[in-house]
Amino acid sequence: MARAQFENSNDIGVFSRLTNSYALVAIGGSENFYSVFESELADVIPVVHTSIGGTRIIGRLTAGNRHGLLLPNTTTDQELQHMRNSLPDSVAIQRVEERLSALGNVIACNDYVALVHPDVDRETEEIIADVLKVEVFRQTIAGNVLVGSYCGLSNQGGIVHPKTSVEDQDELSSLLQIPLVAGTVNRGSDLIGAGLVVNDWTAFAGLDTTSTELSVIESIFKLQDAQPTYIVNQMRDSLIDT
Amino acid sequence: MSIYNFKKVQVVPNGPDFIDIVLSKIQRKTPTVVHATYQIGRIRQFYMRKVKFAQDCFDEKLEQILTDFPKLDEIHPFYSDLMNVLYDRDHYKLALGQINTAKHLIDNVAKDYARLLKFGDSLYRCKQLKKAALGRMATVMKRQKDSLAYLEQVRQHLARLPSIDPNTRTLLVCGYPNVGKSSFMNKLTRADVEVQPYAFTTKSLFVGHMDYNYLRWQVIDTPGILDHPLEERNTIEMQSITALAHLRACIMFFIDLSEECGYSVGDQCKLFHAIKPLFANKPTLLVVNKIDVKRPEDLDDERKALLDEILAQPDVTMVQMSTFTDEGVMDVKATACTQLLASRVEMKMKGNKVNDIINKLHLSQPVARDDRDRPAAVPEAALTRVKYDPNDPNRRQLERDLEKEQGGAGVFNVDLKKIYMLDNDEWRYDTIPEIMDGKNVQDFVDPEIEAKLDALEREEERLIAEGFYDSEEEVIDEAEQDLRDAAAEIRSKKDLIVQAHRASKGKNRPSIPIKARTSARTVEGLQTHLASMGVGSDAAADRARSRTRKRARSESRVGEDIVRGDSQAPAKRQAVSQVRDRSTMGLRNSSQKAVAEKIKVRSQTQSNLLAKAGESDRAIKTKMPKHLFSGKRGNGSASHR
Repeated sequence: MARAQFENSNDIGVFSRLTNSYALVAIGGSENFYSVFESELADVIPVVHTSIGGTRIIGRLTAGNRHGLLLPNTTTDQELQHMRNSLPDSVAIQRVEERLSALGNVIACNDYVALVHPDVDRETEEIIADVLKVEVFRQTIAGNVLVGSYCGLSNQGGIVHPKTSVEDQDELSSLLQIPLVAGTVNRGSDLIGAGLVVNDWTAFAGLDTTSTELSVIESIFKLQDAQPTYIVNQMRDSLIDT
Repeated sequence: MSIYNFKKVQVVPNGPDFIDIVLSKIQRKTPTVVHATYQIGRIRQFYMRKVKFAQDCFDEKLEQILTDFPKLDEIHPFYSDLMNVLYDRDHYKLALGQINTAKHLIDNVAKDYARLLKFGDSLYRCKQLKKAALGRMATVMKRQKDSLAYLEQVRQHLARLPSIDPNTRTLLVCGYPNVGKSSFMNKLTRADVEVQPYAFTTKSLFVGHMDYNYLRWQVIDTPGILDHPLEERNTIEMQSITALAHLRACIMFFIDLSEECGYSVGDQCKLFHAIKPLFANKPTLLVVNKIDVKRPEDLDDERKALLDEILAQPDVTMVQMSTFTDEGVMDVKATACTQLLASRVEMKMKGNKVNDIINKLHLSQPVARDDRDRPAAVPEAALTRVKYDPNDPNRRQLERDLEKEQGGAGVFNVDLKKIYMLDNDEWRYDTIPEIMDGKNVQDFVDPEIEAKLDALEREEERLIAEGFYDSEEEVIDEAEQDLRDAAAEIRSKKDLIVQAHRASKGKNRPSIPIKARTSARTVEGLQTHLASMGVGSDAAADRARSRTRKRARSESRVGEDIVRGDSQAPAKRQAVSQVRDRSTMGLRNSSQKAVAEKIKVRSQTQSNLLAKAGESDRAIKTKMPKHLFSGKRGNGSASHR
């Protein structure tokens, strides 16, 4: 559980992608951002510097989980080669010819289930199911089609857009088979996907994230043996009064 | 992060400064030169502009003051009352009102004088009117001297007020002087309030912040209050009262049972009852301080009764602590925060705002939709890994450390290939051929390419040997040869013409118009030219003027007189080789000469004026004539003054 900033931006989810078997980090002006991930993760999983189509917004352009990695059609062959060389063979890498090329925004997934933008191609949907080995559901979150931007998921839990209704939240929870809570990151930002990257044992949030937000994140993702019920029991008062 | 920030109010200049600022601005930003010889409209406009500009300047500065200073009716009642206590509401409003009036007066002066200036009939009158207008504006401002001075003082004091957010979670510390309020504040926050063993050490409100239960809390230390009627309270005490009255906070009423503060328990209890109305609907704590000296249990019956009387009130809890030994301080903090939070939550739950956050409090638990197990995938290494510690000598070397070693950001080039997982580690830094459209050079390499090339070369040799490429000699017939010769001749002729034309073009001397170039046209010339073109020239030569004309001097010509050199009849016969006067060369008649003379004189005027020897004289005698480069106007902006 750490807070980080990419070159003065709190939207670290834009510049990184974290899964249970690898982490991708954008190539920035300095190594500070990379080293935050490196110090937490490098003993366990590969932390890979990369760009996608020459850009740094790799978190928004890629989607992936433990089983695979989906790259947009803007990915260059060199980048694809670099990624293939850097990631273990157990991770399938696939470039997707999808019109909605910001895959990170249109796909939200953990290792078992993926929520996708209602308008993605049928073919893409199949690729997602095959490469990431997930069940795919076309969904919106609080009326937002960009499901990847407005939620953060792991195999243990998930945070969704703060304006998600209780019914939607329950429905999503049943689809994903994980406990869900509505919340914010980066001092009230509803762009969860941009402010937070998470896997089953660690999470990174933007530097502006408050301690209340952090402890919600910690509880729902069961980091450091916290339990999601902590949110409704102990944290209730703090959440109401913020 | 407070919405009340009074630090941005701009400095208010005092009366004379104010006028100086505006007047010098007028001098700088409006034109300064006007002449009596100008059209009267222009003169009027010149002075009108000055008056209008003065009005704008005053307006702008006064408006700035009016908008910068907080309006007492629009800010939070806490601040509005605090400002009343500190600066006196009436005085403050009056000062701002006077500034507003001054603004209107100046507007009126400007309007009047702009109207009068329309009737100014000379430069002098216009100038006097402008002077009068500015003078009257200055007089108006001079009268505002006191208001401006007062506002400047208010500004300086306002900027130093603590930025208290009236709506956030607040612990408000109050009580008699010297009961340990500031010590408690220093224990809780990093505010570093001065603590001294005499009364009224704290003379104004102080604010500090602390964290508790994931939230940020504001602690306000107030000056001590004595027990006397409200009307008799001084400014210092009134600040405390204002804070007590307007902030929805947890009230922490400090009481010193040891009476070391110099006030008896009875007095302190009386004060509590006196200001009790201000605690209505707020969680209230009776904080017994200095328990290292005296605990409530050790009190005599009389005082105990007084204490119990207070505790009999609803919503009053007693807590004990000693800021000296730190005993119970954290408990007091926890109790205060918990009580305040509970009351705030209760308040919020009553309102309808709670619907917005109800989903944040709702934890959706999944309903099983199949009997698949979806376990978390935490690698073993993640559970057993040692947490990274920057002080550990055996810590992992991060890219950041490498970067620092190798020259820092911008210099360091990250090694992207370091983590490659390849079958053979030696391949790691192998050059990969450029990939394009999913293919690289390797994909196009044909293993038999050498053999194929060899075969091709051998076939080529064979063909050459067989004479496959030997072509038949080209035969050119006579007609074509002629055609080619003619074309070559035309081309060379064209080149010559072009050359001659170019040669005649770039010369650096006056060219004589073709019409006047009579000497160049001789009958012989005509004949050779015609002959070269293959045309019979005799007839043309006979028609030539020199042949047909009779003796020039024998007949007088009508209508024109020939330009003559010196005199019509030279005293001495000139030699033929003597040079003719060139000024008359190429000129047909005297009228043409007169015109040429005129043109010459006109073209020489400028260079004569500058004492130049001629067109080609480009000498600059003095690089920077002193008179052009000194004085008020921008250096070198004019060629004369």
